Amino acid sequence: MPEQLHSIKIDEGRCVGCITCMKACPTKAIRVRNRKAVIIGERCIDCGECFRVCPHRAVTPLTTSASDLEAFKMTIALPSPVLYSQFGRNAMPNEILLALKTIGFSYVFDEAWLCEMVTTAIEEYLETQDGPRPLISSTCPAVVRLIAMRYPNLLPLIIPIDAPREVAAKRYRTMKGNKHGLSPKEIGVIHITPCPAKMISINRPLGTDKSHLDGAISIRDIYGPILTVLKDLDEDMIIQQSSGVGIGWAMTGGEIRGLNMDTCLAVSGVQDVMTILDDVEAGKLKGIDYLECLICPDGCIGGPLTVENRHLAKNRVETLVKMFGEKTRVSRELVKRQYKAGFFSLKQQLEASPLPPLDPDQTKAIEKARERKEIVQKLPGTDCGACGAPDCRTLAEDVVLGHALLSDCPFMESKNDVLKSSGCHPKTRK
Amino acid sequence: MPDNNVFEQSFPVKGGDFANAGEASCQVKEILKEIGVGADIIRRVAIAAYEAEMNVVMYAREGEVRVSISPEMVNLIIEDEGQGIENIDLAMQEGYSTATEEMREMGFGAGMGLPNMKKNSDEFKVTSEVGKGTKIDIRIRMEKET
Repeated sequence: MPEQLHSIKIDEGRCVGCITCMKACPTKAIRVRNRKAVIIGERCIDCGECFRVCPHRAVTPLTTSASDLEAFKMTIALPSPVLYSQFGRNAMPNEILLALKTIGFSYVFDEAWLCEMVTTAIEEYLETQDGPRPLISSTCPAVVRLIAMRYPNLLPLIIPIDAPREVAAKRYRTMKGNKHGLSPKEIGVIHITPCPAKMISINRPLGTDKSHLDGAISIRDIYGPILTVLKDLDEDMIIQQSSGVGIGWAMTGGEIRGLNMDTCLAVSGVQDVMTILDDVEAGKLKGIDYLECLICPDGCIGGPLTVENRHLAKNRVETLVKMFGEKTRVSRELVKRQYKAGFFSLKQQLEASPLPPLDPDQTKAIEKARERKEIVQKLPGTDCGACGAPDCRTLAEDVVLGHALLSDCPFMESKNDVLKSSGCHPKTRK
Repeated sequence: MPDNNVFEQSFPVKGGDFANAGEASCQVKEILKEIGVGADIIRRVAIAAYEAEMNVVMYAREGEVRVSISPEMVNLIIEDEGQGIENIDLAMQEGYSTATEEMREMGFGAGMGLPNMKKNSDEFKVTSEVGKGTKIDIRIRMEKET
């Protein structure tokens, strides 16, 4: 697959240049130019909000397709626990795993089991490592990118424990490669994903040189094939190992559910996540040890590439958690040993990627901030988006940076016309 | 005539408005990031601004946070109309607070406000008149990064 800078792209054929995605983007990464939406790469955190809201289905997620798997001698599927919540009240996790195997993967493993192990590893870390708090989960790639871009001084707070999908991929690639005498390259390890953000963490990982995964197929794409074979399964083996502790990771609060501490918080949804990160930055979260932050509403079951209504999915996860119990099946001693051996660790320090300042020269940057403020005062302040920027302040910034013109604002033109013709304008009248 | 090399902005702060408390200092922080100020200076300004803003929210009727940023220095002036400070020397002591029981229950009033502002500033000045209000002048110099 060619390397992609982001996990979504705009289909220009479908895009009509309405401003829906631009308005929804939490990091102001979209502009409308020549009646087409354009993504500003350095501002995008791959959260998928634009995909969610586009009324013309012009935002395309760039996930792995089934044909990409032909390049491998062996394929391993690692489904997000979200998959268990997508097929109604009668489908059991093990059946869904078997269905996944039936449709053509060489092996399928229960990623929720690794989630459960990571819970224990996080607990071990929190109990044994001193340092600043609260620590922040590394699971959601969009949150990690948000922090690297907007809150770079919080990067040291991201717990240096890798996401379960990565830990799982590392474990099973080695295991199956050794057993069958295959080189790592001959094995395709594929995550079944509820969101496009996993794709970016595979193509451009942070905290490591290379992801352990080779791709991610969306739940959307694989839903139909699973549903077809789910009714009459031929195979009969036990793949599921997880208890409710692992399965619970599918939704908000899942990661901290198994932690034996009441100083943990779970926050989901992009606006709420930004609010809590502002609070962390302001030092307001005293007494909190761990923060689970997930960019999608209600956590991964709210992922843009899921099929099931997220409220039904939530209900299903809760039922499964009760059914399989909240007592972990993981051996603490085993996890401790593997933790000490570095099995769960992120390899490198996470690197900040803050937005560039208004100007590399601080004196000029101050001037530009002044200019921007003056332009904002001239603009109508209605944030209508007609200029192609999400709000007046962003247009002012684009103007200062030379990416847009003040005359892009239609209101400015009419204001000038009115001023010219009548010598007076309601807004300027004292 | 305003100096072209200085960015100035003021943010109104309302006394008793706990729901929006911290917004002014948050915006000051954003502007400093956009200007490309070093992380350590941003942190110090953010803490000082937040403490000062909270004092207005807790003790005054209304006030304003004014920031001016030049290539040499960040200057915060926090001015309010309110009860004022009776004994500034006492207020500067760590742990001294006139916060009510309710405020303390919310986690405020640890008596670290003014000392924390001073700790994070290069120059620090408080003037206050009982029954009228308080003015705090905080200056934080931009160290040239090597």
